[in-house]
Amino acid sequence: MPISALECVHANAPSVEGRDHPRRSSALSWWIIAAATLLFLIIPLLLHDPYYLHIFILVFLFAYLGTAWSLVGMAGQLSLGHAAFLGIGGYTSTLLFMEWGVTPWLGMWMGAILSAVVGILIGYPTFRLRGPYFALTTIAFAEILRIYVENTEVGPFGIPLRAGMGLLVPLKGSAPALFQFDSKEPYYYLSFLMMCMAVGLSFLINRTRFGFYLAAIRADQDAAESLGINSTRFKLLAMTVSCLLAALGGTFYAQYFRYINPERAMGLGISIEIALVGIVGGWQTVLGPTIGSVLLSPLSELVRAYLGGTYAGLHLIFYGLVLMVVVLFLPNGIFGPLQMAIRRLEAKIRKSDEKG
Amino acid sequence: MIQLLASAAVTGLMLGGLYGALAVGLSLIFGIIRVINFAHGAFLMLSMYASFWLWYFFHINPYLSILLVVPLFFLFGYAVQQLVIRPMFVRERALVVEPLGVLLLTAGLDLVLSNLALLFFKSDYRAVISPLGDSTLRLGFLDLNLPRFLLFLLSFAITGGLYWILNHTEVGVAIRSVGQNREAAALCGVNVYRIYSLTFGLGTAVLAMVGAAMTPFYYINPSMGSALGVKSFIVVVLGGLGSVPGALLGGLILGVVESVTAQFVPATTSVIFSFLLFIIVMLWRPKGLMGMLEA
Repeated sequence: MPISALECVHANAPSVEGRDHPRRSSALSWWIIAAATLLFLIIPLLLHDPYYLHIFILVFLFAYLGTAWSLVGMAGQLSLGHAAFLGIGGYTSTLLFMEWGVTPWLGMWMGAILSAVVGILIGYPTFRLRGPYFALTTIAFAEILRIYVENTEVGPFGIPLRAGMGLLVPLKGSAPALFQFDSKEPYYYLSFLMMCMAVGLSFLINRTRFGFYLAAIRADQDAAESLGINSTRFKLLAMTVSCLLAALGGTFYAQYFRYINPERAMGLGISIEIALVGIVGGWQTVLGPTIGSVLLSPLSELVRAYLGGTYAGLHLIFYGLVLMVVVLFLPNGIFGPLQMAIRRLEAKIRKSDEKG
Repeated sequence: MIQLLASAAVTGLMLGGLYGALAVGLSLIFGIIRVINFAHGAFLMLSMYASFWLWYFFHINPYLSILLVVPLFFLFGYAVQQLVIRPMFVRERALVVEPLGVLLLTAGLDLVLSNLALLFFKSDYRAVISPLGDSTLRLGFLDLNLPRFLLFLLSFAITGGLYWILNHTEVGVAIRSVGQNREAAALCGVNVYRIYSLTFGLGTAVLAMVGAAMTPFYYINPSMGSALGVKSFIVVVLGGLGSVPGALLGGLILGVVESVTAQFVPATTSVIFSFLLFIIVMLWRPKGLMGMLEA
């Protein structure tokens, strides 16, 4: 009997006690994914309101960032400083564009390389720390970067970091070659494509030997090492891919909002926002962060847009409550229960088919 | 130059007393319950607001408000442990829970509390205005700000008092026994979950005492908690996780280091420096400085 790929993904997630997943092909999940993809592709044809498109772009962007973030999570390490890599990506491409006119399409890769290098430099010493100690240390690294940029007008080699003022991306109107578009649709499809590629990459990683190594490390690092898995090496590899992707997302962030500053691109708030979509969805699953973003991003954006003016910080209260509820009642995220529900639905359909 | 450094060192000691006093409760809670309370800074902010409103509406002197704020925050801490954190222990049917989950749980609580404060108290900076706030004490060539000096003395009193409670009262001994060996304590008839709640209340009450004593000289703002919360984490790590006297020592060291380096480099660089200190201690001396002394 063929085992569907999605089953494989879930099979190497840490198994929850007493919940044995039957290795049945869950065709329904694939139909749902295909239908959602098709729906997302045709939405801009039906919906022209820029604000609604903006909400979808945020959903895709945070799904993308959450998926990138979850790659480190798959190695069993929870980072709360991923905004640093987003910031490095955004700042690098924007500075290259402002100073030398390098198109962000090229600059984003320079940012990604720089971010990956920084990720390795941070990861190498800190991956020996586990659980909350790793999380706190990543916060410290990200805060160092934020405070440094926030207080530095001119960095080393005369780089004009412009301190807390942030960087304003020079406006060029409709200039696809410079990563600038005058309508929401190109950003919509670009962010959608980025999300699909990140999820696809995460899916592929989970099917390879590398993915199995990561699963072994997060389940029991000592046992994995005793079997000859070099845990530091594979964690670093996961970190490299994660930082690379996060930095590319940072360039998108800068080009889409046309403005970045240290607080918005490197602050603890955005680190938590990225981690939250992953935690809510299921931070050790392929589709978890995407589902988390679909659930969270529109709600938080609506709260921010309609109530943020009169009640500042309301969306953060919402985030905090969601985080607490998820940690208390759904410690492995919403993905597991959702998959169980789909399975049950599928069984029901099958039964009614047999009857009919 | 020497005079400048000496004055910086004394200022640093005052600041260090504050940091130490802030971290004592956090360290106690971590040592006994193994919970990293990310909302520690938010608790401090709330206690300062409590003291501020008591002064604003009822003209109660901040030092006098300690008498009201301390029991109030003992109950608050007790309730947080009972209602928010204990469900995790119950779910996992364990005496120690996976620390990452609790960190996230309290991070959520931190977001809720600081933004509720923003919602109700607005982002204005507030301060208790009293002649005491500006009065100084002259010691040789040094001018000491009186409320800061009082807090410095209080930090030793708090640490000493807590040390006494832990060593010479029945509850204190029970708390320490739980910290040393949960199962054995439970077998001896100690209600571990109750001790957890008491400890959380005690740690929060101590924090509220510091908060009240800070109001005469520290501006209050809903987002002030995060900066001081981070400082408390650094201090706890410096002093050795879970060690009460270590927290005070760690605070004094951080205060002096910050204040002296601020003489040579811009203040923001010295903040970066304290984060680096945190990372370095985390990586190379995870048991903290007290751990080093014991070894």
